[in-house]
Amino acid sequence: MLEKFSNWLDERFQWRQVWEAIFLRKIPHVNWGYTLGSATLFVAVLQAVTGILLTLYYVPTPDHAYDSIVYITTQLPAGWFIRGLHHWGASAMIVLVVLHLLRVFFYGAYKYPREATWITGVLLLLVVIGFGFTGYLLPWDQKAYWATTVGTRIAGVAPVIGNWILRIARGGDDLSAVSLARFFGTHIWVLPATLATLILVHLYLVIRIGISAVPGRSEP
Amino acid sequence: MDMSSKGKMSRRDLMKAAIFSIGGLIGASIGLPAIGYIVGPALKQAAEVWIRLGTVSKVKLDDPTLFKTIVETQTGWINTQEEISAYVLTTDGKDFAALSNVCTHLGCRVRWIAEEGKFFCPCHDGVFAKDGTVISGPPPRPLDRFQTKVEDGILFIKRG
Repeated sequence: MLEKFSNWLDERFQWRQVWEAIFLRKIPHVNWGYTLGSATLFVAVLQAVTGILLTLYYVPTPDHAYDSIVYITTQLPAGWFIRGLHHWGASAMIVLVVLHLLRVFFYGAYKYPREATWITGVLLLLVVIGFGFTGYLLPWDQKAYWATTVGTRIAGVAPVIGNWILRIARGGDDLSAVSLARFFGTHIWVLPATLATLILVHLYLVIRIGISAVPGRSEP
Repeated sequence: MDMSSKGKMSRRDLMKAAIFSIGGLIGASIGLPAIGYIVGPALKQAAEVWIRLGTVSKVKLDDPTLFKTIVETQTGWINTQEEISAYVLTTDGKDFAALSNVCTHLGCRVRWIAEEGKFFCPCHDGVFAKDGTVISGPPPRPLDRFQTKVEDGILFIKRG
C-alpha cells in the first residue's frame, strides 16, 4: 500500500532521482570531520524551528521585549526549553561553523574547483555572526543593551564611513525602539532569507561538484 | 525492512533504522514540547472572582439596568483593564439577575431599548426579551447569566 503510494508519487514528482542525488551520491572515504557541515545544517534548522516558535510570543518593543521573554521563560509550558535551545544553539552554530571552516581549510578543500563553495561558506559565516549580533539585543536586558551599544560603537570606529554605519545600525544616534525593531527585522527576515539562499547554493555545489577526499601523504 | 536470507539485518538497513529512529526521537523531543508551548495559554482558565458591580439601589424595578465595571486582568505579559458590563434585572427588589451583554450568536454587545422593551444586537439582528430569552434572529441560546450575590447593599457577580 505504502509502496504503491510512493510509486504513485514518484511517477508524478520524480523525487527518487532527487533523493538519490542527495543521499545516495558517491563520496570518497572520509572521516568524522566531514560531518561538521551537516551538524551545522542540523543546528541551523533547529534555530529556525525554535526561532519561529519564539516569535509566537516575543514582542520587539522596548516596553514589552523583556516582559515577553520573561513570560516565555517562566509562564509557558516548555518555554524555558524552547528559548534555551535557541540560546545554546546560537553558540553551537558559531562553534560548528568555525570547526567546519577549519576542517575545510586544513584539508585544502577550498581549492579548485570548489572556490565558490568556499566563498559562499565564508558569506554564510558572516550571516551566522550577523544572527548572533542581532539576536543578542532582542532580550533587551542590561547585557543586551550594553553589548549592542559597544558592538555598534566598534563599527563606528571604522575610518570615514564608521559613523554612518553606526547610525544606520542603530537607526539614529542612540540605541532605541528603532534599533530594537530593525535588529529584530534583520534577525527574523533579512538574515534567514540570506541564509536560506546561500545554503541552497552551498549545498548545490557540495552535491554537484562533490566533496574532496582526505589529502593523502603521498600526494605532491 | 529488508532482511537477508539468514534473517540478519543488512548494514544499510540498520543504519536506515538508526537514522529514522534517532531522527524521530529528536523530532518528538522538540515537537511535543512545542505543542505544549503553542497551546499553553489557551488552556489557562481564568480564575473565578467576585466582581463588584455597584449598589443595588441603582437597579430600577422591572427594568434592565446597565452596570459597567473595570477589572484588572493579566493577559500574557501585559496588565490590561477590561470593562465588564451586565444588565441587572429585578422584579421584586430582592432577587437580582445579572445578564451578560454579550450576544450568544457571535459575541457583539447587545443593547436594551427601553421603548421596545427588548435587547437588540446590532450585528445580526438578534433580539432578546427582558429575561434574556431569544425572541428572533440567529442567537442559539438566551443571554448568559452571571451568578450574583448581595452584600451590604452591594451587588457582586461571579466571573469564570
